[in-house]
Amino acid sequence: MAAFRYFSKKLLSSTLKTDIRAPVSNNYVVCVRLLSYTPMPYDGNPDPGPIFIKKEVQTLLTTLTRVDLAKVYRKRKLGGRQLEQPVYKFMTDEQLQEALDEAKRKVDEILQIPPVVAVRKPRDKVVSRDPALQGLDSSNYIFTDISYGVPDSERIILVRDTEGTLRDADWATRDRINQMYFPVARRQVTPPKMFEDDKLDDLLKRGEYNFILDRACLQFEPNDEFYQKVCSVTYQHINENNKFEDIRSTRHFGSFAFFIAWHKMIDNLLLDLIESEHIDEANALVELYAQLHGEKFRGNSIEEYIGKFSTKKAALELALQAYKNAAKQKHALEEGIKRAHGLN
Amino acid sequence: MLPPSSGIGQFAATSAKVIRFVRAGCTNRPFYHIVVAERRREQFEPVIEQVGSYDPMPNANNEKLVSLNLERISYWIGNGAGCSGPVEELLGLAGYFPIHPRSYMTAWRNRRKADEEAAAKEKADDSNEEKSETSSSV
Repeated sequence: MAAFRYFSKKLLSSTLKTDIRAPVSNNYVVCVRLLSYTPMPYDGNPDPGPIFIKKEVQTLLTTLTRVDLAKVYRKRKLGGRQLEQPVYKFMTDEQLQEALDEAKRKVDEILQIPPVVAVRKPRDKVVSRDPALQGLDSSNYIFTDISYGVPDSERIILVRDTEGTLRDADWATRDRINQMYFPVARRQVTPPKMFEDDKLDDLLKRGEYNFILDRACLQFEPNDEFYQKVCSVTYQHINENNKFEDIRSTRHFGSFAFFIAWHKMIDNLLLDLIESEHIDEANALVELYAQLHGEKFRGNSIEEYIGKFSTKKAALELALQAYKNAAKQKHALEEGIKRAHGLN
Repeated sequence: MLPPSSGIGQFAATSAKVIRFVRAGCTNRPFYHIVVAERRREQFEPVIEQVGSYDPMPNANNEKLVSLNLERISYWIGNGAGCSGPVEELLGLAGYFPIHPRSYMTAWRNRRKADEEAAAKEKADDSNEEKSETSSSV
């Protein structure tokens, strides 16, 4: 799909260059239709959960997130909430160091990556069928067990419908009922309208990626199919438009990197990393790809990846060559400076 | 002010307890707490414990919401508490008790009523058609 989109864009640009007016409008129509993304939830085949929580994978994802304290503690949109009054304190050097360490420790908490898990299976267990109860009531009854100490996912929620069948409530109902009896702060009982197709499209066009992902994180469970659909569409939009900087140093970058590596579309990010000379991160990304797909690269993993699996071979090779040349020049310059100082 | 769901009612260890509704809504808007109380007490006296709630008015999704603290209900029934009729019916629908006979009675009475109404309507339609046919032929 991504490759097809890439080629269609290429086609469009080439037709524009040759300045043939008539087919341009046709191509434009095609491109507009291609702008809508197919949602790609993790269907659990194989299950991404166990791979995601592996320690090596987590380390790679943290490396890719590239922690920048200024960005972690950035100004945030608060909506209608009021800010608390800041407290100014006089501190000794030791106390200041302690406060800074505390802030750094909090980073792990703030940047905790939302879990990547397979979509939950639909619930359709029927407890009993009793057709003799038809006509008892024109509305369904929902019975919720509110015993203390039961997690939301295991709570007994049953529906007695108008046909007299007592069955397990489906996931959407469960979410609604759980939020009603055991509310999560600032989560809504009905999902906000911003996740509807046309509104989401508008948000994506405006590049409000953090807003979408934060709100989705708050509103849905990570194994919710709808959550994964929203996130996958957002990730694809980021990937297509190269807006990696927008979500870097946020908790969503890890999930994003995992997503693109899982669906084999890391070329854009890899190109971006090589061009911005973050070669260790590029290595981490290729290593992540290898971990997820059971590959093993020997020697220079980036070159090997480009040779074997890349769909943008030419651009990546060019970028890598440019990086190598720059590195060589830099090295030569440093050597020269050292020699001039008489250090060798 | 709502009393705490842990209850503040004084009760004797050996007195008869019952699980029943307490009406907690306002005018024209019924809402019930399901509580454990001493059988001899009035409805609005302090209760021993609240064990659930029941909203008899369907919500926007056409659902009537019932919450039951099954752990505590089991505890009180184990200690010899009885249940009022409406609570027995609800617990029956929830699959905790067998279905209450009154639920079946209400169901078939409603079905019979619906059948009768449908039949009456059919009859009225037929007679109307006949009338219109005769009037048109005239």
